[in-house]
Amino acid sequence: MADSHHNPNASHSARSFEVRILRQDGPGQPSYWERHRVEYEPEMNVISVLQRIAAKAITADGKHVAPVAWDCNCLEEVCGACTMVINGQVRQSCSALVDRLLEDRPGEIELAPMAKFPVVRDLVVDRARLFRALTKVKAWVPVDGYYDVGPGPRVSPATQEQSYPLSECMSCGCCLDACPQYLKVEVERLEGESAADFEARANNEFDRSFVGAHAISQAMLFNSHPTGATSAGPRLDALMAEGGIQVCGNAQNCVAVCPKNIPLTTSIGRAGRATTIHQLKKWFGA
Amino acid sequence: MKSAVGDAPASSFLARNEFLIRRLHSLSGLIPVGAYMVIHLLTNASVLQGSVMFQKLVYQIHGLPMLVAIEWLFIFIPILFHAIIGVLIIRGSLPNSGTYKYGSNYRYTLQRATGMIAFVFIMVHVFHMHGWFHFDSWLIAARKIGGAQFWPYNAASTAARALSSLPYQIFYVVGVLSCVFHLANGIWTFGITWGIWVTPQAQRWATTACLVFGLALSAVGLGALGGFAYTVDVETAYERENEMYDERVKIGDILPDEHKRYHPPAAKASETAQAPTYLNFEP
Repeated sequence: MADSHHNPNASHSARSFEVRILRQDGPGQPSYWERHRVEYEPEMNVISVLQRIAAKAITADGKHVAPVAWDCNCLEEVCGACTMVINGQVRQSCSALVDRLLEDRPGEIELAPMAKFPVVRDLVVDRARLFRALTKVKAWVPVDGYYDVGPGPRVSPATQEQSYPLSECMSCGCCLDACPQYLKVEVERLEGESAADFEARANNEFDRSFVGAHAISQAMLFNSHPTGATSAGPRLDALMAEGGIQVCGNAQNCVAVCPKNIPLTTSIGRAGRATTIHQLKKWFGA
Repeated sequence: MKSAVGDAPASSFLARNEFLIRRLHSLSGLIPVGAYMVIHLLTNASVLQGSVMFQKLVYQIHGLPMLVAIEWLFIFIPILFHAIIGVLIIRGSLPNSGTYKYGSNYRYTLQRATGMIAFVFIMVHVFHMHGWFHFDSWLIAARKIGGAQFWPYNAASTAARALSSLPYQIFYVVGVLSCVFHLANGIWTFGITWGIWVTPQAQRWATTACLVFGLALSAVGLGALGGFAYTVDVETAYERENEMYDERVKIGDILPDEHKRYHPPAAKASETAQAPTYLNFEP
């Protein structure tokens, strides 16, 4: 580092880097780019970068601004809350290491909110549609009841092997953000509309749009569970409704960007086969 | 305020039957449209075996009963259905292969681009060769602007003449290659859509199989185009075709049908048609 002391520019570029952030003050507001300069520290991730930016709240031009808002929770890539678009690619910011990012693009990191979900503020998005899709395909095992129904059927090791990777889904939404068939749906609350009415209207809108790879995969997970399979028919019906599996365009970005390496396209293929058979059974009898 | 769900507009017919329509779209791309294209290109490539061989196959096709009904039911209507639904599908997509540079994502974008090219190409191609409709007033008008340039009983000579200009040759090469890519990649997505190849390993095998199929069909298609543009001697082919016609009419194999024969305009004036006057034909 002795050399860099004689060259202020080299020192500057080696010890700090620029962060371009696509900000938005609120839902429906215009978005704008803002530049921040962050002092380099070893082994930073994007979360710690955002913490430094929030602590300073001064842009690269020296302007005082409101701190950049972002979501995060587990900090170990199992909750999906901190998902955002980093250098153009959707991923978790907790596992996005600054050293790796600066290797790919020296001196600069670009942060943007997920492209397919409505922005709440800055890097925070509303992923209600993602969870609505899980409701639509009944992504659960129906075991609610008032009395003991005894132990469930055994799950074969082969099914366990197939199911475990699918159960790793953390609902982060990377598969949806990278999907060219998954288009942004933004429903704005009307004047005087109650929260319940707004939610019902938004859900109605979500249900007409593509459910997405995550929901298709979860439907396959619960259809292969012996108890979950009692709802296999309704799940397939949901996958064949408007916005169902038929919207998939086989770009296969979902499986390529999935941080948990979930075999999403295998689930889509299985769902394709299951819905084909389901339709034939509905026409010609089981 | 009224209940939000009650306010929701009723879904359209297309939306309510989205699953079946998309599946029918996927199926129609293979059967009948894709299957027809394979037969069409193979038939055309027979011109590489000479204009007589090609003419023989065209006679076989024109021996089919109710050819117009077959054309519309099994070729034109399925193509139009596939194309129109395809345009609607493209309107609901946001290609991002510039950001997510994966092979399958490039193919996704290309599938949509080649689909649009194929739509334009097929509309123009059917007009250029076939004319779309076969009643006289329409045909006369179509021929004035360069359409309906294929006469089935003078098959190779009129096809060769229609493909003699370089702009048309380039247009046809781009169009045929787009159609072939769209079919080969369409077979691959068909297999996933219908759940035929499910695992990544099976899909890799399918990718290779579709690649081989696509390359082979490209060779057939380009062979056919090259065959018409560069191997057919128009005058000789024209004479042979007329001999075949006379012979077939004589033995009662076909009924005389002047609508399917090419008549050089000069030949109408004089009984003794000369081949060179044919070359001076202006539509």
